Amino acid sequence: MTQIAAQRYTGSSVKRSEDLRILAGAGRYVDDVKLPGMLHAAFLRSPLAHGRVLAVDASAARALPGIVAVLTGTDLDDMTVRGPDPLLAMIGGGGPTAEYSLLATDTVRLVGDPVAVVIAESRYLAEDGCELVEVDYEDLPPVVSAAAALDVGSPPVFANLGNNIIGPHKRSEFGDVAGVFAAADRIAEFHLDVHRHQNVPMEGRGCVASYDADSGILTMYAATQGVHITRMGVAACLGIDPARVRVLAGDIGGSFGLKIGASREELAVAAASRALGRPVKWIEDRSENLTVSGQAREESFDVRAAVSDSGDLLGLDVSMVIDTGAYPVMGTMVPSIIEAMLPGPYRLAALGFESTAVVTNKASYVAYRGPWASETFVRERVIDLIAKDLGLDPFEIRLRNVAPRTSPPAMMITGRPLTGVTTRESLERLAQLVDVPAFRHRQAAERARGRYLGIGVATFIEAAPGPRAPEGSGGPLGQESMRLRLAEDGIVLLFTGQMPHGQGHQTTLAQIAADEFGVPFEQVRVVVGDSEAVPFGFTGGSRSATMTGGVTLHGARQLKAKVLDVAALLLEASALDLEITDGQVVVRGDPDTAIPVAEVARQAASGRFGADVDANLEVEATFDGGEGGWSGGSHCAIVEVDVETGLVKVERYVAAEDCGALINPAVVEGQIRGGIAQGIGAVLLERSAYDRDGNYQSATFMDYLLPTACDIPRIEIEHLETVPLDADVNFRGVGEGGMIVAPPTVVSAIEDALAPFGVRIYEQHLPPARILELIAQQA
Amino acid sequence: MKLPEFEYQVPATVAEAIGLLAQHQDEASLLAGGQSLIPLLAMRLARPAVLIDINGLDDLSGVSVTDGRVTIGALTREYMAEESETVAETVPLLAAALPLIGHEAIRSRGTLGGSLAHADPAAELPAVARALDAEFVVRSESGERVIPAAEWFEGYLTTSRRPEEILVEVRFPVAEPGTGVAFQEVARRHGDFAMVGLAASLTLADGTITDARLAFSGVADVPVRAVEAESLLRGQQPSAELFAEAASRAAGQLDPPADLHGSSDYRKKVAAALVRRGLQAAADNAHERQ
Amino acid sequence: MIDITVTVNGAPRSSAVEARRTLADFLRDDLDLTGTHVGCEHGVCGACTVIVDGRPVRSCLMLAVQAAGHEVTTIEGLSPDGVLGPLPQAMRDSHSFQCGFCTPGFVMQATAFLGAHPDAGEQAIREALSGNICRCTGYQSIIDGVVLAAERGRADVGSDG
Repeated sequence: MTQIAAQRYTGSSVKRSEDLRILAGAGRYVDDVKLPGMLHAAFLRSPLAHGRVLAVDASAARALPGIVAVLTGTDLDDMTVRGPDPLLAMIGGGGPTAEYSLLATDTVRLVGDPVAVVIAESRYLAEDGCELVEVDYEDLPPVVSAAAALDVGSPPVFANLGNNIIGPHKRSEFGDVAGVFAAADRIAEFHLDVHRHQNVPMEGRGCVASYDADSGILTMYAATQGVHITRMGVAACLGIDPARVRVLAGDIGGSFGLKIGASREELAVAAASRALGRPVKWIEDRSENLTVSGQAREESFDVRAAVSDSGDLLGLDVSMVIDTGAYPVMGTMVPSIIEAMLPGPYRLAALGFESTAVVTNKASYVAYRGPWASETFVRERVIDLIAKDLGLDPFEIRLRNVAPRTSPPAMMITGRPLTGVTTRESLERLAQLVDVPAFRHRQAAERARGRYLGIGVATFIEAAPGPRAPEGSGGPLGQESMRLRLAEDGIVLLFTGQMPHGQGHQTTLAQIAADEFGVPFEQVRVVVGDSEAVPFGFTGGSRSATMTGGVTLHGARQLKAKVLDVAALLLEASALDLEITDGQVVVRGDPDTAIPVAEVARQAASGRFGADVDANLEVEATFDGGEGGWSGGSHCAIVEVDVETGLVKVERYVAAEDCGALINPAVVEGQIRGGIAQGIGAVLLERSAYDRDGNYQSATFMDYLLPTACDIPRIEIEHLETVPLDADVNFRGVGEGGMIVAPPTVVSAIEDALAPFGVRIYEQHLPPARILELIAQQA
Repeated sequence: MKLPEFEYQVPATVAEAIGLLAQHQDEASLLAGGQSLIPLLAMRLARPAVLIDINGLDDLSGVSVTDGRVTIGALTREYMAEESETVAETVPLLAAALPLIGHEAIRSRGTLGGSLAHADPAAELPAVARALDAEFVVRSESGERVIPAAEWFEGYLTTSRRPEEILVEVRFPVAEPGTGVAFQEVARRHGDFAMVGLAASLTLADGTITDARLAFSGVADVPVRAVEAESLLRGQQPSAELFAEAASRAAGQLDPPADLHGSSDYRKKVAAALVRRGLQAAADNAHERQ
Repeated sequence: MIDITVTVNGAPRSSAVEARRTLADFLRDDLDLTGTHVGCEHGVCGACTVIVDGRPVRSCLMLAVQAAGHEVTTIEGLSPDGVLGPLPQAMRDSHSFQCGFCTPGFVMQATAFLGAHPDAGEQAIREALSGNICRCTGYQSIIDGVVLAAERGRADVGSDG
């Protein structure tokens, strides 16, 4: 177990300090920012999926009262530096890079591609201005599917690439693929599709850029998962020193991977502010958010599985195609993560993996909560389909294939150790929570009455943050930093690069610091969202529980040691005899000696100590994740399918999960439920649909359907005992797991419900009409 | 998604409103609840030169019963009709449909007349009006016209209201004794527009169906009466087999459109299922209401 | 431009607005009441829900000029002086929210609903909230918060329920 001192707060559902402002209506989101002289931007966007821009005439727009400026793609090209997307720049990727201008100059590559930005006294006027900009387009044939893009003769989306294959085909092998397949009792083959869907946070993208000519500083009020990545991106685009960019972020209305770095629109707005010398605000509306902000998950897989007659999954050979849309951001990096994760917690002996990435005239592929999630979908679907072929129970086949928890830990064939993975335990616990034999009885009885219930299971692991990285390989992403300071008012300040957008870091990190340092929870303040105050860091990849929880724990200890050294001088005692309880430094066993930590801080700042005393009550700590670890779990869904209408009701959903030690159970459970809801939404409701001409069809909330309170049942969550890996830090992330494993869980349940019809499911999106089609196909 | 400019007029009387319509004709849109019109304005799909806000015309709101007919003012808010005991007693099919319209906040502002004049074929009220042969009373400078439901709905978002006319009230027949109703929908989510919806009403006397009304939403560009199925049902005793036959007849008449949410074939299958279920529910409701 | 006076959170507030300005934009930009959020501008997500004359209303589907002479309550009005009112407090106690963007709409919808149906049970509450979209929570914690508020409300009134 963790060694946290006192543990008064850690492990308990402490009420969030954020809620005091959020529930009073006093949250500060980027659209709440108002600056004197602020202007508003709206983007003129392409109505075509693919076209040449022949001419842009903004004269009528510029003449409209209230319009301050219209900047075309060419205007912006002249005032910025062309470069890759900031996220792409940070995590690299290799492979050919598409070349394009900030806003479209000669080519538009998706419906909604920004062609010009209109800056006006109000958003209303800016939209009026957009209607007056005249653009001559020449239609070009759009490339709207991966299949079309794979044809090297298809019209190239990017002239400099020559064709639309941005991630050329490559193959890796792990283990003796040929041997394992040759020796297997049977080979099963499947084609699996995951459909395009998207993040859809309730707050879209947006920013206020404010350039101050006197200081040469560009201040960016942003909604971002990391202020420094945004800062680097803005600086690079504007061609200025990163020290001349300050990024501020307040409350953020969700992101799920969307708001990282800076989008083309945000960079254009920054450039516009500099050109005009006035603050410029851009807040994307819902139609922009759905059409162009980015989409995810459009991947297809050809899978061969080498299987024994008793249900051992011996090997997988997988070939995937990923549709990265236009303006590649990070889609080309997803296949390698999928490759690494495909074996999951199973004893897979061989893996062959190949991938190809294409660009198309659709929205860019962006990170969406568990970007590699398809590896779990593929693996869990394959296991289920094999189980059906062999007449095995879904729990039974998984338990058979789970790698045993050994010491040293079993290795995934792709190279990572399955340290502390509790898949077996989660499956067994899940089976206890869901009385499967009782369900099977009920299922049979209901089938006799013409009602179709089904049960589905799936299991997953996620690297949250994953096992300890080999020495020195982490880079800036391999650690989290924190600056901790005891202020003169007794407040313990934590400066972190974490950028909460629902995760409650201002509460959870304060819990850890309060316990470790010895002050009441209310005496800790977590400072986020100012690139001049916080060290590098970002929120994403389910890293913060371990990385930032850990740096908080260790940093608080270091700060406490400094404070006790100074307090020892004040109390004329040995630091070893001192402790901090409830914000008071006290000599152990002698309560009359208590002095508040604020007093220690004031004395330290007073200058009374000589140079031989370190009276600067501030530390800078870093933490690389310690032993790290996997999170994971097993989920089960019970559904009812109305076979006359295709409507599916999720009747019951149970998750047995293991994320190590919980900092704040309510926060953990909120993350899990939210992820599961997105997974249920993906299967039953959400699809980013395009027609043959590349017109986007899910551009309002009447067509892109999000799950509501009537679609998500009460989700039951069981937390497993952790397998402690580290002496101190055993919190692991849970941000992405729900969204990773819920889709195969629900698909599996639907397939089970439709078993009497002989239905097998090889896709993830099952709206009512599709369910009736699947049934009819078997008839 | 900000609204475009328009000239804004707020008539103080129905006569003033009519005068504005006479003056501006189809350059003007009437703003009632705004729950359908304002989204269209926000998306800049609707571009009226003049917006005539009639929310102040209290004369056009209210429920009254005379001579076997229920008259509902066009500006009656959906939530008020939902809470009206008179509506529940006299037009139970309308009472069954109202709670399915969107969500509570939509019904706070949305009006009966607004929904019926907007005439979205996937909406609930047009199907109810069609099922019950409601009458639409419109007024212009030339006087009043009464338009039966069968002639009111002309096409997608199109009614036979002339540009200079305003809908002032809608009249429904008072339900006969022995009537049971059901309004059922297959929608992607609770509160959404239906992919297919069914307004069903059965009147029973001595165990025999004396009147049957079936009207679909979502299967064409207007609400559709299933007249062949209705004539099959009249004079018969309710039974599962009868309802199945009616379902088959009703669905067989349909040629529904396809869209993102369902194919034509899907809608036909769902329509049939709704008829079976709706008729059973209406029959059950007839027993409950006795 | 049209001069309007609207009673907002009990106080008369005046401004000159274009007819096309929505109530949501009026509250946020003219009155600096940024607690009300704009999530879709076509009436589906519910983040903009406020209470007008006691009824929940989508403020993105109402013109500011239509609110003239009427009473509007926003989320700020429920917690004057920054002290959380009973429903927001129950939601805090239940960890109802995460990113907070959908929050104002849920709080106002729940306030209006419980005001009219103080004895509502969980299923009725779930349905009443089904017109508000949350992307973070999966809804259970929000429903729990409203159920808790209802229980506390009944206990305060001394109801037998």
